[in-house]
Amino acid sequence: MEEESGEELGLDRSTPKDFHFYHMDLYDSEDRPQLFPEENPRMRKEVVQAETANESTGAGDGKAQSDLREEVEELVHLYGLEDDHELGDEFVDENMPKMGVSEYPPYGMKRRDPAREQRDWRLSGEAAEAEDLGFGGWGSAGQCQDLREVYRYTHGRASEEYECYVIPEEEDEEEAADVFCVTCKTPIRAFQKVFDEHKEHEVIPLSEALESAKDEIHKNMYKLEKQIIDMENFANHLEEVFITVEENFGKQEQNFESHYNEILETLAQKYEEKIQALGEKKKERLEALYGQLVSCGENLDTCKELMETIEEMCHEEKVDFIKDAVAMADRLGKFLKTKTDVEISAQPDFEDQTLDFSDVEQLMDSINTIPAPSAPVINPQAPNSATGSSVRVCWSLYSDDTVESYQLSYRPVQDSSPGKDQAAPSPPIIKTKEIRSCEEAVLICWESGNLNPVDSYTVELTQAESPEASGVTESVVGIPTCESLVQLQPGQSYIIYVRALNMGGPSVRSEPATVHTIGSYFRLNKDTCHPWLAISQDGLTIIRSERSTPRREPPPSDTRFTRCVAVMGNLIPVRGHHYWEVEVNEHLDYTVGVAFEDVPKQEDLGANCLSWCMRHTFASSRHKYEFLHNRTTPDIRITVPPKKIGILLDYENSKLSFFNVDLSQHLYTFSCQLHKFVHPCFSLEKPGCLKIHNGISMPKHVTFY
Amino acid sequence: MITVSQDQQLDRRRMALKQISSNKCFGGLQKVFEHVSVELNCKMKFAVYLPPKAETGKCPALYWLSGLICTEQNFVSKSGYHQAASEHGFFVIAPDASPRGCNVKGEDESWDFGAGAGFYVDATEDPWKTNYRMYSYVTEELPQLINANFPVDPQRTSIFGHGALICALKNPGKYKSVSAFAPICNPVFCSWGKKAFSGYLGKDQSKWKAYNATHLVKSYPDSQLDILIDQGKDDRFLLDEQLLPDNFIAACTERKIPVAFRLQEGCDHSYYFISTFITDHIRHHAKYLNA
Repeated sequence: MEEESGEELGLDRSTPKDFHFYHMDLYDSEDRPQLFPEENPRMRKEVVQAETANESTGAGDGKAQSDLREEVEELVHLYGLEDDHELGDEFVDENMPKMGVSEYPPYGMKRRDPAREQRDWRLSGEAAEAEDLGFGGWGSAGQCQDLREVYRYTHGRASEEYECYVIPEEEDEEEAADVFCVTCKTPIRAFQKVFDEHKEHEVIPLSEALESAKDEIHKNMYKLEKQIIDMENFANHLEEVFITVEENFGKQEQNFESHYNEILETLAQKYEEKIQALGEKKKERLEALYGQLVSCGENLDTCKELMETIEEMCHEEKVDFIKDAVAMADRLGKFLKTKTDVEISAQPDFEDQTLDFSDVEQLMDSINTIPAPSAPVINPQAPNSATGSSVRVCWSLYSDDTVESYQLSYRPVQDSSPGKDQAAPSPPIIKTKEIRSCEEAVLICWESGNLNPVDSYTVELTQAESPEASGVTESVVGIPTCESLVQLQPGQSYIIYVRALNMGGPSVRSEPATVHTIGSYFRLNKDTCHPWLAISQDGLTIIRSERSTPRREPPPSDTRFTRCVAVMGNLIPVRGHHYWEVEVNEHLDYTVGVAFEDVPKQEDLGANCLSWCMRHTFASSRHKYEFLHNRTTPDIRITVPPKKIGILLDYENSKLSFFNVDLSQHLYTFSCQLHKFVHPCFSLEKPGCLKIHNGISMPKHVTFY
Repeated sequence: MITVSQDQQLDRRRMALKQISSNKCFGGLQKVFEHVSVELNCKMKFAVYLPPKAETGKCPALYWLSGLICTEQNFVSKSGYHQAASEHGFFVIAPDASPRGCNVKGEDESWDFGAGAGFYVDATEDPWKTNYRMYSYVTEELPQLINANFPVDPQRTSIFGHGALICALKNPGKYKSVSAFAPICNPVFCSWGKKAFSGYLGKDQSKWKAYNATHLVKSYPDSQLDILIDQGKDDRFLLDEQLLPDNFIAACTERKIPVAFRLQEGCDHSYYFISTFITDHIRHHAKYLNA
């Protein structure tokens, strides 16, 4: 049975080979021979421990062996091993003389190095709270469990069984120490003080030594804990810095690469240009020289010819000679008059060429500079971001930029003063007929109201309860286009104004528009309307009239329905719940539902996968109801024809439901994938009319769906 | 004849309930009880689900009437209704489909008549009339027993399953809503109905009308009922013309009783079909019971 002796924190000790530890609990304390009857068994155990430890190491480390028991007991309670006191008492004694650092399997486990034990110690601090199986230093609960079982096993045996394992140390058992020699750092018996060894040494009572040792241990514990936290923080910090370094260097690399490439390109370009210039020059000169050569040749030829003629002439008769001579003289005269250019036109010398590398130099210089960042973009003012004396400004920057700091400056803009340089713009005009709203937001659009361009627009809204004495006016500023989606509270009424803004200041408020955030409000989109349908003034009634004259089908279009006699509404693009109702006639053939904006306008509603709808057909006194998507419909029979159909569009749950409003009857629910926004759609297969009711809140029966 | 006072009657009912099992499910409790039924003169079991809300207040009650050959267990173990019932806070009560162990001659001979096939009628013929009074049991005795023993709100009751149509149509205003799965809609014209009615009610077909949903609808006094019916398209009983929903639908259309009848593609008559749509049905009832 090889067992490890206890190890000090950070101290490596080797177990002497012939030294064996056995469970103290094998023997009831009473069984041991009482060498010193006046001492209590406890002390004797300590002695044994002390002796054996002393023998094995010869030197403590500032901690008394004998007071370990008490310390350990304390830890036992701390780590919740109260259920088995003996476990704490004796088990600890043998198996955990030090603060849970060592792994102590009684039946043959290898030792661990101190570093590992140091970690275990740390674990014991953390894990001990979590687990009742204390002794975190044991590594795992499982091992601890094993140990306990082992302990119980051994503890349960009668002591006789272990008689053969008589501890040698029993014979060596001596008296318990009762004082502590500070100089030697070892517990000794009082009388030992008298001996030579300890005569001059400082001695303090054991209990004191115990206390101080305990304190030290606690301090160390505390220090270690702190260190753990510090290290962890440091590690985190390092990680952050690591990432930042990567980023920064990445940016630098990129910069340099692009610069460098630029330089190379410029150089290459210069090279090309120069080579080309040289080539041309060469060609030019060669040609000139060649030209000269040619004319020289010609000259020579003429001269030679003349010479020959003259020679021939000299051999002629006198009369002929004189004739020819005169002609010849003329000819010669003329010829000699013409100048021969004997100047070489092209010099072989090369002029001094200075290449202009100044731009390359410039590039080279700039390679070390960091590019100035691009201008940040200020975000439009969010609602509720301003108080009477402060305003919250947010901006964003380009990710390519390296930014060290920002400079924010502001200048108050007076409301009333008209432009010094420029007149303030005119107020915009809200397109009230095109307002779309739902319970959470409103989409407003307006006309600029100005011929000249405007810098930006501001939307102002107040709650309509007390319009004059209103408390808060929310503003949305910096709107670049003539349209704005503003978030609102459900179940309220708002009054909305728009102002235009330019260098001269803001315009006065536009005419107000009122928005109620009850239900969803939309109008029909005239641009999508099939030519055979008419829309009422208020944009909520669709009429297909009887026409006796046959009508041609209109040409295909992307926005306007051509085959299906239908029209779409403009629903606010907000992913929430939308509910509206349609009043129908029992004998009418109609289709109502939703469709994506790009639904094919040449097809029927429900005949493709971009639309979902309910179709009612009335023929031969029979009502037929279809719920169409991609041309398929479930088989549903309804006994009471609805007069008012409620439609619930639920983006969150991807559902579209239809109801008979008067009976609170649920008709059908589609599950539909709505990756984009959809709009309500309506069609009339026969003459008749459909009346839309919207801006109403959902009836209770609909909320179950 | 000994007259029993109201209190004593109540006590007797209270003492009569014996709990057979109890299992926690979706935060509530699924229990099975046994009692001696006065109407049926035998021991009857029924299953009741107590929703979590029952701990703090009264809850609405939903009665499920099972079909042929079922006991109180089939619905409880196979339909998967507990989650929806727990969420909406309903009691769900499922009695057995017929009296049991009555030792009536011939009750175990066929699966579609006698034991397991009570048809929710009050039989008038011997030897059935002593025991086979499922209609009264389900519409009177059982609700009174439930109301006395559980925190049920007696004003809010609904019913679904086979036979529910009959109970609802015969008791206008008693049930706030009705729904059914593949119900027998017109028993007088199908072989099941003919066999059962002639056995329980005798040869006089005028008596059969009282338990014929299609007939009852024609004389239903108002149109405040909202009926949801799911029917599997591949249900062999539909194809065998045992169920005959068309007749019922036509009668409702004429009478303007709101019905939403859904023919479900590929579904049969099994509990797989029922469990697919049970949540829809419970939500249908929630609209009225939790309004």
